[in-house]
Amino acid sequence: MKRLLTLLIALMLAGPALAQGGPLRLTITDGVIEPITFAVPTFEAENPQAGQLASDLTRLVAQNLSGTGLFREVPANAFISQVNSFVQPVAFADWRAVNAQALVVGAVSVNGDQVNVKFRLFDIFSGQELGSGLQFAGTTAGWRRMGHKVSDAVYSRITGEGGYFDSRVVFVAESGPKDNRLKRLAIMDYDGANVQFLTDSSNIVLAPRFSPRGDQVLYTSFESGFPRINLLDVANVGRRQIATAPGEMSFSPRFSRDGRQVIYSLSNGGTTDIYRTDLDTGQHVRLTATPSIDTAPSLSPDGSQIVFESDRSGTQQLYIMSSSGGDARRISFGEGRYSTPVWSPRGDLVAFTKQNAGRFHIGVMRTDGSEERLLTSSFLDEGPTWSPNGRVIMFTRETQGADGASALYSVDISGRNLRAVPIQSAASDASWGPLQP
Amino acid sequence: MQTPGTYISAVGHVGLIGWLLLGWGMQSQPLPMEVMDVSIMSGEEFEQMMAARTPDPGDAPPTAPVQPVIEETPAPPVAETPPEPAPPPEPVAPPVVETPPPPAPEIPPADVTDAAPVAPVPPAEPVPAPDLPPSDDPTQAPANRIASTPTAPPPPDAEVSDIAREAVVPDDTAPAEVAVPEQEATAPEQTATEIVIADERPRGAVETSIRPVARPARPAPPAPEQETTTADPTPDPAPTPAPVPDTSDAVADALAAAVASSSAPAVQAGPPMTGAEQESFRLAVNSCWNVDPGSMASLVTVAVGFELNRDGTVVNNEVRLLSSSGDQSAINIAFDAARRAILRCQRGGYQLPADKYDQWREVVITFDPSGMRSR
Repeated sequence: MKRLLTLLIALMLAGPALAQGGPLRLTITDGVIEPITFAVPTFEAENPQAGQLASDLTRLVAQNLSGTGLFREVPANAFISQVNSFVQPVAFADWRAVNAQALVVGAVSVNGDQVNVKFRLFDIFSGQELGSGLQFAGTTAGWRRMGHKVSDAVYSRITGEGGYFDSRVVFVAESGPKDNRLKRLAIMDYDGANVQFLTDSSNIVLAPRFSPRGDQVLYTSFESGFPRINLLDVANVGRRQIATAPGEMSFSPRFSRDGRQVIYSLSNGGTTDIYRTDLDTGQHVRLTATPSIDTAPSLSPDGSQIVFESDRSGTQQLYIMSSSGGDARRISFGEGRYSTPVWSPRGDLVAFTKQNAGRFHIGVMRTDGSEERLLTSSFLDEGPTWSPNGRVIMFTRETQGADGASALYSVDISGRNLRAVPIQSAASDASWGPLQP
Repeated sequence: MQTPGTYISAVGHVGLIGWLLLGWGMQSQPLPMEVMDVSIMSGEEFEQMMAARTPDPGDAPPTAPVQPVIEETPAPPVAETPPEPAPPPEPVAPPVVETPPPPAPEIPPADVTDAAPVAPVPPAEPVPAPDLPPSDDPTQAPANRIASTPTAPPPPDAEVSDIAREAVVPDDTAPAEVAVPEQEATAPEQTATEIVIADERPRGAVETSIRPVARPARPAPPAPEQETTTADPTPDPAPTPAPVPDTSDAVADALAAAVASSSAPAVQAGPPMTGAEQESFRLAVNSCWNVDPGSMASLVTVAVGFELNRDGTVVNNEVRLLSSSGDQSAINIAFDAARRAILRCQRGGYQLPADKYDQWREVVITFDPSGMRSR
């Protein structure tokens, strides 16, 4: 007892000492949300032929970064020091003075139709270079891709996540009045540039989906009068119909993660179920068997689970089941109807379309249904698709009325930076492809 | 008529003119001049020249049209960055200067003797030196309780007396007129904040400052008992009950260590930073901590450490990652954001109380973005 008392006294005496020793400790839980400022002086043209290209590449990099909403460019007229050479020492104090947090320095050389682009990235406030310099070589015709590559590298080094600039999107290009709309498949860069058509408008096409490697596209065509799944090769635009399980209609296809299987919906006798077909063997597996409409399947990144929509509870809701079928668990419980779920490339979120109280929303939730967040709201928003890094969602927004038209929009998963994708024609049903090699 | 003055004037003038003409004593040699050749060159030539002079033209391989990324940038020119090595002229050694009061050692001989009639306190030790650097002990310095510099305004409830009151002495000469009832608990402006601080201090600090002599007497483990005895003048025959068998050495050691450790840091550490001071520091870093709520880094909590110079700037701009959990790339980005926040917001130095430098010289900040994700 006495010993205990003594120890107690010892602890009491030591208390203040312990409390006073050591460094000052603080905890910060509340920061700010604002774009990171960056400066990108016009890249150095290493020979006279490279002058215009150096300027164009610089602008493209700046636009890419600013377009994410995560970065804000420091205008050139605010620069204190100029960067005239790629190897010139960086005057960090000057860039600090204009509040640039990152600095991109680059150089371009042109030799015939060959282009070399190199860049370096600096963290101004720590006075250090972020990573090593990189160099890309290509042709003058592909200069935009080189700009996207540089942007991806800069983005990745600053945010720690993969980029998405050097990627393409396949979508349905629309033309004509609403009651007689012509649709055809088209492909473009992520930013709406380089639009090319993959099909003509003789048949209705719907819901194109990129393969994991970006070299093929699955889509639904009404060529035979009924919806059927087709496979299109992007390189030569050759296409063929997929031999699905027997049924009246097949639609809503998606590739498996290895690109060798297709999961899709098959409608037969008033019910719609989810199937899987092996492209090599032609073998079919039925994954759901309920007297309801099960559709819009999307695989998890590891291929072990499928999220899909079903009205088995009376209204459209989201469910998750094993990729081999079996019992499904419902994950959406909010008001309204949920549809078109898409599993995030990161694996942590599911994007969806929600209809509630006469409005449509694009939203995300965790795979257990928690933390649902609605990112958009309009007369009609639908069909989300993820950027390759799981950071941005592109979707279709249609305006109201007889003159209403569809357009593609993108939004950050934080709900910020909503912006229209600049395309000349109306567009819908986008599918974002992977980063190009 | 020519007077002698005329002759003198004429001779003088002739002499002067002659001297000017002959130039005797004057230098006629042209001054030495340096002449430099100046050549004009175009802007391109200048750039080429500058490029050639830069230390390492690592951009040699542009001819290689190989597609894959090539690591080729030589860091050296960037690393030098001439402008900024200047800022940290750390005042390393002279910290003694700013702790105003004279160090403790002087007190013992005079104060102890006349303040307390304690007789036999061993005055022999003139050596307070070994255990404490006398200067940075603010607790022993009574002057520190009164702010030497204008401090923040007093707390709202304490009204500052605008009249300097010296009327404490009962002055009988004046009739008992108005008796000015403005008598509130007002205090001179400077003391307000520091009194609050003094209350937060551990009690031990005050005692030890009165009797610094007593402390040298505890060289070894038995110290605690001796101190208690010296503190009490009452001659207690058995001051150290020392229950022989059961109080094991371990316990005694623990007690001794506790007493020792409680007294030592209390002497070394200055007054603790107030909540308001810590909060203002926190807010200063807050405003530069940029969180991307959609990133994986927003799922990671990191703790970073750094040291501050006396002017509030980060020593060598060095921030260390102390602890973290989660995905490594996310940790790296979270750490970068934390470091950027600390370095960006330091500007000319964080505004921290100079007299409490020991309290904030080392800082550990935990950045926890969990509350930001839902925004």
